[in-house]
Amino acid sequence: MCDNHEHKKLRSNNRDLQEIEKQIDRRHFLKKTSLGLGALAFSSLLGTEKLWANINAESSPEEILNAYNKNRLGLPHHLPKAKRIIYLFQSGGPSQMDLFDYKPKLTDMFGKELPESVIGGQKLTGMSGAQSTLPIAPSTFKFQQYGESRAWVSDAMPYLSEVVDELCFIKGMQTDQINHTPAITFMQTGNQLPGRPSIGSWLSYGLGSDNENLPTFITLVSKNGKGQPLKASLWGNGFLPTEHQGVQFRSGKDPVLYLSDPENYDGHDRRHMLDYLSHLNDLQTDSYGDPEIQARMAQYEMAFKMQTSVPEVTDISDEPEHIFDMYGKDSRDPGTYAANCLMARKLLEKGVKFVQLYHQGWDQHTHCPGGVKNQSKKTDQATAALIKDLKQRGMLEDTLVVWGGEFGRTIYSQGQLTETNYGRDHHPKAFTMWMAGAGVKPGFSYGETDDFSYNVVKDPVHVHDFHATLLHLFGVDHEKLTFKHQGRRYRLTDVHGHVVKDILT
Amino acid sequence: MNEVSDIVIFLGRFHPLIVHLPIGFIMFAFLLEILSKWKNLKELRAAIPYALLFGAITAAKACLLGYMLASSGEYDGPMLDGHFWFGIATTAFTLLAWLISIDKIKFIKLASFKANIATLTFLVVLISITGHYGGNLTHGADYLTKYAPFGEKPQKIAPPKDVNDVVLFDHVIYPILEEKCMSCHNPSKKKGGLALDNAENILKGGKKGLAIVPGDIEKSGVFHRVTLNHDDKEFMPPDGKTPLTEEEISLLSFWIKSAKADFSIKLVAAEEKEEILKTALAYLNMGEHAKETLPEVQPADSIAVAKLANAGFTLRELVYNSGIYDVVLPSKTAKSSEETTKLLEQLAAIKNNVLWLSLQDNQVTDTHLKTIAQFKNLKQLYLNKNAITDKGIAELKAIETLKSLNLYGTEVSKESFASLVNFKNLQNVYVWKTNVTNEDVKEFEKQNSAIKLHLGITK
Repeated sequence: MCDNHEHKKLRSNNRDLQEIEKQIDRRHFLKKTSLGLGALAFSSLLGTEKLWANINAESSPEEILNAYNKNRLGLPHHLPKAKRIIYLFQSGGPSQMDLFDYKPKLTDMFGKELPESVIGGQKLTGMSGAQSTLPIAPSTFKFQQYGESRAWVSDAMPYLSEVVDELCFIKGMQTDQINHTPAITFMQTGNQLPGRPSIGSWLSYGLGSDNENLPTFITLVSKNGKGQPLKASLWGNGFLPTEHQGVQFRSGKDPVLYLSDPENYDGHDRRHMLDYLSHLNDLQTDSYGDPEIQARMAQYEMAFKMQTSVPEVTDISDEPEHIFDMYGKDSRDPGTYAANCLMARKLLEKGVKFVQLYHQGWDQHTHCPGGVKNQSKKTDQATAALIKDLKQRGMLEDTLVVWGGEFGRTIYSQGQLTETNYGRDHHPKAFTMWMAGAGVKPGFSYGETDDFSYNVVKDPVHVHDFHATLLHLFGVDHEKLTFKHQGRRYRLTDVHGHVVKDILT
Repeated sequence: MNEVSDIVIFLGRFHPLIVHLPIGFIMFAFLLEILSKWKNLKELRAAIPYALLFGAITAAKACLLGYMLASSGEYDGPMLDGHFWFGIATTAFTLLAWLISIDKIKFIKLASFKANIATLTFLVVLISITGHYGGNLTHGADYLTKYAPFGEKPQKIAPPKDVNDVVLFDHVIYPILEEKCMSCHNPSKKKGGLALDNAENILKGGKKGLAIVPGDIEKSGVFHRVTLNHDDKEFMPPDGKTPLTEEEISLLSFWIKSAKADFSIKLVAAEEKEEILKTALAYLNMGEHAKETLPEVQPADSIAVAKLANAGFTLRELVYNSGIYDVVLPSKTAKSSEETTKLLEQLAAIKNNVLWLSLQDNQVTDTHLKTIAQFKNLKQLYLNKNAITDKGIAELKAIETLKSLNLYGTEVSKESFASLVNFKNLQNVYVWKTNVTNEDVKEFEKQNSAIKLHLGITK
């Protein structure tokens, strides 16, 4: 009954819209004058057929054609090393000198004033800038060298110290921002103001999906997180088409709500309903050319597929005991960092390209030693387990693991300094991150800070450089992946960024 | 050379535009002449004098503008003289042809028709010669013949065999200049009076001063111009041409500064070479900095690819337009060993195009590995979670390109090691949850350092 709507075209009198209408006409011409596989051959003549042939057994010839025609970006630019990524974001700004950036010379300088020459006229935050004194607070943690690479790790992270030979430390990280929201936004989108696409959205837009049944970009946030709030713009799509935004899985037993059918409905005609709905939406797209309509259609389809794919992938009951033991006892408690690490591994195994974890609580303005110890306890074992688990499955070879926060912390104490306690303020000029896996040198340390872990003295890596390197590992030239918006082309790195070739294998 | 006022050069630069008008007119006159004779369309002949008249007028204009352009001093040598005289000759002869065509000049012995076709044919020859000189001036003398199937190729400097052979100027700097500068700065087209084709010309510099000052990048004009802000009107190469990359700039800077613009110095002999060695080798694509080369393959048949996608494979091209694919058969796609057989037979249609292949958890058995052994470009192979034994590994017949082999969760044992050592490029083998034990791995790694076996937490 409802299939007999006449497919009438609305014509616009607006010139911009007319342009879009013309393009649609061309597309229809291709679709309708050439049938099925013949069209493929034709489109191959036009050189448009090869990008992501992400089509599955149920795809109709038309879907196949569309999948092929998606290739207008000419990606990847070079042979990728990484196929997927898990980004373990440590929100708040982990204290680099209490974890990885060992500064032995400071033990004798306990309580001494941090020299003005080190600060170099930097503008401090309002939180510690007004302090009458900036006393040096050497780390209370014990450092030791581990592995064949002899990497320094503090005793806050005993598990991670077992896998240092897989890690590539970047000790000269630098950012432009000193406050949480702009800094974390900068780290995730390349700009301090919200509104630009996040790293995961760029990758989804540029490289497409490896598993059409799951979102390409999934975000997991540790539950009961305290500290600076996280917000959806960090995994937002900005001006890119909406289907490229990160899909946040809830931290808890039921990662995606409302996937099961409501009572008294068995879902038998849902396929039919969606088909008709997309027919109606097609009419709208043809009339108005609004890409948001297509995004909406893609999301409906995704939700439909997730009804079967998500329960399967989030079910961790079939994991053996020893895996739970490896990730730590938290891993049985859904929504914790450890459980999220385990789920992230399962998602990566299923072909999700970008899993973004967030763990809050690294903002130690006061009680730094206790705070660092506490957060390390929540994350250390699972982080190390994830590395080991990916390694033994052979996945570390093409999976990139990234660990880091939005900035570092100061060597001077914010608030009162005692033998056993100190606080640390935000510090954008030097901090430590590490990467592991696909295409980065294992057991390697890059960059150096001065004796105060305050300034980078060798091989600085700016956030833009980090982004450029990350894209490079995925076969993407950061200068070529662009999107035109409001009259100009944007990139993740905007007008900056250099690939850090020295850390690549 | 005397300074020429800007307006002259400004007008002169219209020469390449105007010059096409007489070419068109003259060719048109020639065409009309041929047609009128061949098809016997006499009425066409009425247009010939007009075409020739306009041809003569525009040719004269082109000569004038050409003279102005030449006065800028950017062009030089016998090539310019040839272009100059042939241009004038063409103009004069066009005028003559016009006069003949309107019967102002009568040839007593020849019928006017024949005189016309003779003059016009001669004009076409003249215009071709003039045009050839002009083209050489604009694009460089070897522009036309560089890629011609006949004739000898210009002598190339032999590529270096190893690092010790690299001559900094010949192998690194010259190719940069050749690619980015020499289309305008060559002996026949010296823009700004500068040619960069050999040591003598480079050191001579151009009208604006020295191009290269050994040891001093600040004073070196070339370096200054290529490192300016891209919007600067002095920036080189000019708008529309590809600027030097960062690597190229750092190499140039190193050559001028640290190597004192020495034209014969070897890379390994240069002072402070450490800082630049990596960049230079990457530029030369040598040693460990050589780019991973992609196998040369025929593009995959797009219909075969679409069929594979329909059958359940996920395919993605690893580099755009390379025809090289990452192929994944999602876990549990094949429900039985027979299905796997069919799927693999289908995949064999693009066997040379597959670089990465994942068949994890898909009922793969030893017999299937015989098929996979034909995939001669494989670099990465996931066979985990399949009932594969040592016999199967022997069937793989040491795929030469294979770098990584994932066998976790299979039934292989240390018996496979004997087969593994035959894989020339194998680096990583994953054997967690197989019959391989910790002791086996230790034993193996004692003798083989090239291949790493990964066990994981043994449970």
